[in-house]
Amino acid sequence: MKKHVMGWDPAAMDALRVVDVPRVDPETTGNGTPVEKAPDPELGTDIIPAARYYSPEFMAMEWEKVWTKTWLLGGRSDDLKEAGDYICTEIGKESVLIVRQVDGSVRCFPNVCLHRGNRLRPEGRGNAEKFQCMYHHWTYGLDGKLEHIPDLCTFLQGGPPGMSAQPLPCVEWNSFVWFSLNPDVEPFDDFIDPLKQHLEPYHPERMAWKRDITVEWDCNWKTSVDAFNETYHVQGIHPQLKWYLDDINVQIDCYGKHNRYLIPFAAISPRVHMPSQIPPAIYEIMVNAGMDPAEYEGRVSDIRVDVQKFKREHGPAQGKDYSELNDDQLTDDYHYMIFPNVAVNVHSDDIMLFRQRPHATDPNKMYYDIWMFELVPEGEEWPERVKHKRFKHGDKSIGQVLDQDAFNLPTVQTGMQSEYFPGLWIGDQEQRIRHFHKVLDDYIYGPGQKTADDL
Amino acid sequence: MDLGLQGKKAILVGAARGIGYAVAEILAREGCDIALTARSEDSVKDAVAELGKYGTKVVGKPANAKNADEYKAWFEWAIEELEGVDIMIPFTSAGGGMGSEKYWHNAFEVDLMGAVRAVEAVVPTMTEQQRGSIVLIGTTSILEAMGGPQAYNALKASIATYGKQLALHHGKDGIRVNVVSPGPIEFEGGNWDMIKGTMEKFYNAQVRQQPMGRLGRPEEVAKAITFLASDAASWCNGSHLVVDGGYTNRTHF
Repeated sequence: MKKHVMGWDPAAMDALRVVDVPRVDPETTGNGTPVEKAPDPELGTDIIPAARYYSPEFMAMEWEKVWTKTWLLGGRSDDLKEAGDYICTEIGKESVLIVRQVDGSVRCFPNVCLHRGNRLRPEGRGNAEKFQCMYHHWTYGLDGKLEHIPDLCTFLQGGPPGMSAQPLPCVEWNSFVWFSLNPDVEPFDDFIDPLKQHLEPYHPERMAWKRDITVEWDCNWKTSVDAFNETYHVQGIHPQLKWYLDDINVQIDCYGKHNRYLIPFAAISPRVHMPSQIPPAIYEIMVNAGMDPAEYEGRVSDIRVDVQKFKREHGPAQGKDYSELNDDQLTDDYHYMIFPNVAVNVHSDDIMLFRQRPHATDPNKMYYDIWMFELVPEGEEWPERVKHKRFKHGDKSIGQVLDQDAFNLPTVQTGMQSEYFPGLWIGDQEQRIRHFHKVLDDYIYGPGQKTADDL
Repeated sequence: MDLGLQGKKAILVGAARGIGYAVAEILAREGCDIALTARSEDSVKDAVAELGKYGTKVVGKPANAKNADEYKAWFEWAIEELEGVDIMIPFTSAGGGMGSEKYWHNAFEVDLMGAVRAVEAVVPTMTEQQRGSIVLIGTTSILEAMGGPQAYNALKASIATYGKQLALHHGKDGIRVNVVSPGPIEFEGGNWDMIKGTMEKFYNAQVRQQPMGRLGRPEEVAKAITFLASDAASWCNGSHLVVDGGYTNRTHF
């Protein structure tokens, strides 16, 4: 029996079985997504102070040191097909316009009229020939330059400096658009390193919108980030997933600002007995791959590898090009956390991405954006863009698993404010939480500068 | 009451877990020698090792009911190992499923032919001995329409008919054949255990339909099967015993 990839003793965990999951040999992945275990960073075992989840002071520091400094995910390139297509997205108290230019490039500028401060456009998507403020018809070009100020001659001081909205950094990568509120932000390539090699093989540009939902959640944005950064909670709040994935044989990798874990899917958790019948969710995986579960002669424990083989063999005929993905990627969940607020489950046939945005004023609220994309097989028609939906915590179901995730968060948020809760008591299965907070600390206090008294 | 099982020889198909294993355990405890099989080599090994503690002869080898030759050879091996056969119970089932014609082939091969081939493999020896007891396993899903139009229900129903025919035909040779139809049975690692974990609402709905407010346990069915298999049931032949905690609504006149 090989050792657990994270060095834990699987026989001592609360599990019924010790399982050795077959994994792709790191030597064989070439230029594809690396699979070797990254060295574990030295992160200590201190508690993570609870106050950072609800204190207005910490929220203000996050605004000053993180949200206005780093790169942020803005939207999808395929929402910006034609010149004039724009995405208007909000972060905290700011709102930006990301606009496709006539020359095919994208530009970003604040969604605010320089005259009296009115928003130029409501949040959402659209197409514009120009951005005209509804208030006094100040008019901006697609590039944010002021093209017309009615009665300009009556402004003794002339127009605002440069006759332009402040240009903000904006790049397109891997079918997504990124922007920053910081004109001096580091180059995007430095920021995203090393994830280009990790995520480009999935070719998200071949995937179309499947769900686009924003839920106002009653918790701090980091409460949500933490919720998706560990699999330890599967045995707690997602009992049904034990017949769908292996929550114990998880590989965690931390890289600079970002981190990931790799979860075997189409697998049975060692926390339950191996069933003799194919569990419903794994049955679905087989059907989606094009297999007939009734034909399957193997054992339930072999399904993961057999689905990988089947997809490898039949993918091309189904118009699905898996050539840049390794076998594990054909079944497993490679789950990335892109600092500060993107959690993305990448799969060979779909992507489930969560963008977790702070509320403008209340540290006990956040916006949880669910973006799901599905591979469009070659030769099939690109589906119509799904409509964006928006609602409040608990108003509507967002699916069984995410409902389970969401259910706890308000009570976590209120519980963390107890005088008797100093902070998060984090275990090694939650290493990504610790890593995320370390990166956050380095942004807020300077690298390695956080002291014991700091939040 | 003496079940008269001491020294008897039992062949059990699909007995590595669940009801089959519970029967194996009772039979071993009562002093039977046992030959058992299941599809998975590991689970057969585990079951044989575990049952050894009762001190009778317990042997096992994996076999697949779908593979007629391999299956037949397994029975020859089992009868030889036990030097005869007094009791034979085939538990093996392909389980439910809808939406693919393959489920009909699977149910035919495993649920029906798995039993038919097993019966045909032991009847010559039992006839020669002028002694034998066979219990076939049905399901409450053959008594009332449930679970949708499934191959499982339809082919399990044929087991009840087949069992009665066998009873009448082989009675003269001292071979008794009875059928036991269990209702939903729950055990760790079993189907209902998985359903409880993956489809909690459906599970709870099932429990609400149960007069005793719970699902059955393997040993509760195993005791009924063991009785029919034993000499204590010497006048039970061609009977069909429903063991379901009162789950089915129909009245048996």
